[in-house]
Amino acid sequence: MDYFRNMLGAPQGETQATSGADTVERLCERVSSSTLLDDRRDAVRALKALSKKFRVEVGTQAMDILLNVLEQDRNDAEIISYALDTFYHVMSNEPTDEDDATPVNTDLGCQFTEIYIKRPENVSLLLSFLEEYDFHVRWPTVKLLTVLLSNKQKELQEIILVVPMGVSRLMDLLSDSREIIRNDALLLLNQLTKGHGNIQKIVAFENAFERIIDIIRDEGATDGGIVVEDCLLLLQNLLRNNTSNQNFFKEGSYIQKLKPFFQLDDEYAASRQGGWSAQKVTNMHLMLQLVRTLVSPNNPQNQTVACQKVMNHCGLLQDLCSILMATGVPADVLTETINTVSEVIRGSQPNQEYFASVLAPSNPPRPAIVVLLMSMVNEKQPFVLRCAVLYCFQSFLYKNEVGQSQIIQTLLPTAADANSITAGQLLCGGLFNVDPLSNWFSAVALLHAIVENPTQKEQLLRVQLATSLGNPPVSLLQQCCNMLSQGGKVQTKIALLMILCGWLADCPIAVSHFLSNTANVPYLISQVSSSEADDHEVIVQGLCAFLLGICMLYNNDATEAFTKSALKQVIQNRIGLESFTDKLTQVAQNENYTRAAKKPHLYHKHPNEIVFDYEFTRLFKMLENEVLKAVSGTGSVNGRLPGGPGIDHYKALLKEQEDQVLALRKNLEEMQAFSSSSERTVSELKVQVQQLKDQNALLKAQKATQGTPPPAGTNSSPSEEVETLRRELDAMRLQLQNKDAQLVSMTSKENNVNTAESSKIQDGLNTEKPQEPDSAVRLQEAESKLASITSERDSLNERLIKANEENLKLANGKRVIEDEKAGLAKEHQELKEEMETLKKEQDDLLVLLADQDAKIESYKNRLKDLGQQVDDDDDDDDDLEEDEDNDGADAD
Amino acid sequence: MSYAYLFKYIIIGDTGVGKSCLLLQFTDKRFQPVHDLTIGVEFGARMITIDGKQIKLQIWDTAGQESFRSITRSYYRGAAGALLVYDITRRDTFNHLTTWLEDARQHSNSNMVIMLIGNKSDLEARREVKKEEGEAFAREHGLIFMETSAKTAANVEEAFINTAKEIYQKIQDGVFDINNEANGIKIGPQHSPANQSLNVGGSGGNQGGNCC
Repeated sequence: MDYFRNMLGAPQGETQATSGADTVERLCERVSSSTLLDDRRDAVRALKALSKKFRVEVGTQAMDILLNVLEQDRNDAEIISYALDTFYHVMSNEPTDEDDATPVNTDLGCQFTEIYIKRPENVSLLLSFLEEYDFHVRWPTVKLLTVLLSNKQKELQEIILVVPMGVSRLMDLLSDSREIIRNDALLLLNQLTKGHGNIQKIVAFENAFERIIDIIRDEGATDGGIVVEDCLLLLQNLLRNNTSNQNFFKEGSYIQKLKPFFQLDDEYAASRQGGWSAQKVTNMHLMLQLVRTLVSPNNPQNQTVACQKVMNHCGLLQDLCSILMATGVPADVLTETINTVSEVIRGSQPNQEYFASVLAPSNPPRPAIVVLLMSMVNEKQPFVLRCAVLYCFQSFLYKNEVGQSQIIQTLLPTAADANSITAGQLLCGGLFNVDPLSNWFSAVALLHAIVENPTQKEQLLRVQLATSLGNPPVSLLQQCCNMLSQGGKVQTKIALLMILCGWLADCPIAVSHFLSNTANVPYLISQVSSSEADDHEVIVQGLCAFLLGICMLYNNDATEAFTKSALKQVIQNRIGLESFTDKLTQVAQNENYTRAAKKPHLYHKHPNEIVFDYEFTRLFKMLENEVLKAVSGTGSVNGRLPGGPGIDHYKALLKEQEDQVLALRKNLEEMQAFSSSSERTVSELKVQVQQLKDQNALLKAQKATQGTPPPAGTNSSPSEEVETLRRELDAMRLQLQNKDAQLVSMTSKENNVNTAESSKIQDGLNTEKPQEPDSAVRLQEAESKLASITSERDSLNERLIKANEENLKLANGKRVIEDEKAGLAKEHQELKEEMETLKKEQDDLLVLLADQDAKIESYKNRLKDLGQQVDDDDDDDDDLEEDEDNDGADAD
Repeated sequence: MSYAYLFKYIIIGDTGVGKSCLLLQFTDKRFQPVHDLTIGVEFGARMITIDGKQIKLQIWDTAGQESFRSITRSYYRGAAGALLVYDITRRDTFNHLTTWLEDARQHSNSNMVIMLIGNKSDLEARREVKKEEGEAFAREHGLIFMETSAKTAANVEEAFINTAKEIYQKIQDGVFDINNEANGIKIGPQHSPANQSLNVGGSGGNQGGNCC
């Protein structure tokens, strides 16, 4: 409160202040004590009028009273409106027209805000006013919330987050049909989302992307006014460093919706000869930055890769490239476009390929890369543009071996085409011209063409440069060394040292090339041991030490004068270990080094800031310790293999490999065991299969012989059937044979008869031969006899056939009879059994009869004894006996 | 990629019941055994097909910890479906379902489809909550129920798809107002004429149609 008192006593006139304070006091009293709404309303209106001029007074005295009004008079829109406006004036730090410049007040709004938000309910109260559709309530509420947010952002964000549906209610404001509320809501949301990931996500969840992009489109995209700018700022707020929202943006296909915003309208350029409006430039900048936010190298890699893919697919990259080649684009927009293209293609092969294929609309058409490089080595181009081109070139070569080889190829003598300008020519030209910045850009560009690519490092060794007439050509490597030793600007020296370090690292052949010129090592030594203390010279010395170290590390001992151990000796004796270490470590301590190591993007504002390259800092970080170890190592230098950073490394590697071998062996054993077992099962299965096949064949054969397929499920019965059929068949055959035999015997009998007769005739003939006269007659007779005999025989034959047939019939008959007989026999058996039982019964009856006879006899006798006549019964007995005899005969 | 409908889901439930793992299994088809605490809310998306129609699912996986409750509440209103997850090996996560359900019902729109999920069904040996209990709870409160395993992927696909089917059915029945995006449903950009027959709600669909 002391503060406020001071304020009151400060520059303003004493009388005015007191009178103002008095008025405020009186008004406050009226608001709190009056029972009539109209009175209160008038008082609040008056307070509002005073709140700008007597900000402190109103703030200190009226706050609680006005809060009461907000709570109790909320049904009257007018009074609420005045109260909200009053708060707004008290909190706002914006200088007003009436404000007679009192800059000390800037902190005042924050202090009042702090008091206001001490009770979070006060904020909920404001949020509840948003439900009110009345413009006079809703609009001041939005303005007041915005001011509160800009004064105490963090605190208010937390309060709003906790209020149920707080963020959602603010989001709903974007749908308000009154533009002024919607536009102010954009400002409010900008404040609300700044630096608060969770609120950003909720806002995105409430369809913010869709609504904002719709507004941008409705407002005329980049041609639109400041509302578009606010929209783009909000989009960036929602997406920057928020992976979840970036993912949502991509998944919601919003990247595709950005695309139309990048299509340049030719008519626009034509209609405005003075170039783009300032607002359009700003909008375009923000639009480009939005794209960069999505593909920033600092994002998680999978996220960036996914977005890059979408941007190529939907044609956004193509549109960006056409902006690159379009005319009339302001330089700073062009620069940002180049930076954007860089990050869209960085590390993404298809995008890099597309970029390589882009042609500039020049005559003859040249690759866009070449045109861009021309700007890079051109002193007259703006510095930031040249930086952007280098960044673009680096991004094109990042993880792109094909691109690297394409660039190096243009330097090699075979590909030399005198008529066209190539990337290689431009880079070589840039490397050796008088502009140190061109030297630096070109050297770094070349470094990126060979980085992590040993093949291209060796290829680059083949490059020869033509010098002045009459002198033999000189290699690019040697030319770099010559330039280095000739002195020149520090930037040039640093650039050359960076490319040499990158070139020689991990490339023993390049090292031996470098060492073969005897002047090189002494130069480096002299540099490292010099004691100049200039800031930049220290860097040069450190880099020279680094280069020496690399010469040692990747030395294959091919150059006798400078073998590994010789170099070590030289370093230790001529420079001294401590000095060497000192120089080397100073590089990484340099402010420029840490700056460059932060991110790949070149965000330099001034040419003097250009010292280190991002990729080089990575190389340095990787090898610094190796170099120090190699130089200070007490162990045998020969133990270090060429190209190897140290024994320990190899030991670790060996151990790792050993472990790997062990693991692999174990794996192999397991696999072998597995394979043998599986072989076994395979052979078993083969046997089974064979068996099944055999069975199958057998069944097929059976099926064929049987003619009719046996019904399924009755595998045993068919064979039995077959068996019985066979037996029957055999029996039939036997019968047939018997019949045959019978036939034969019969025919033989006949034949016997025939032959006997014919022999008789023959005999007769023989006997009759002597009696010649009769012989002819006899012959005739004999002949007729023979004829009759043959006819007889024929008839006999016929009879025989008939007999045979009869025989067959008889056989059939016999079989039938046999069957009948069998049936009869069965019947007979049954009858016999019946008879048996009947006989038994009869016997029993006979026995009974006999008993009764005996009884009757005894009774008769008794009766006789008693003197009675008993004659009739005898006849009956006889009859019965006869009947029984007849029955017995029938049964037989 | 065009789609017929877009549904917004949220996943809720106690901390450590496997909400993020369910999402990861559904979107990336992989399982992460280490519990990585969700801060606030994370987003995931996938396309599915129902009834021959492409449906895009946008899923917000919320933090289960009490301290994030105020944040996660903001997501109820705009969601068409919610997966309410408990851990079958931890009785307390089942006991808290009532609180979760009350919270959800209070802040969401009344038509939101809620699917109850008993996760970690692969850990049968450590089971503390019987399947029947889950079924009974679901029946009592009118939820769909399923036991899943984010580790083995058992029923994970089904859980998300069945929820979508239920929402789809509600759209067909005219329960949802598909022209109000606050319900968590959006009609896809109608590129192909075949999609136009999808306007179940009558003349709607303008919101999605004006892209590009």
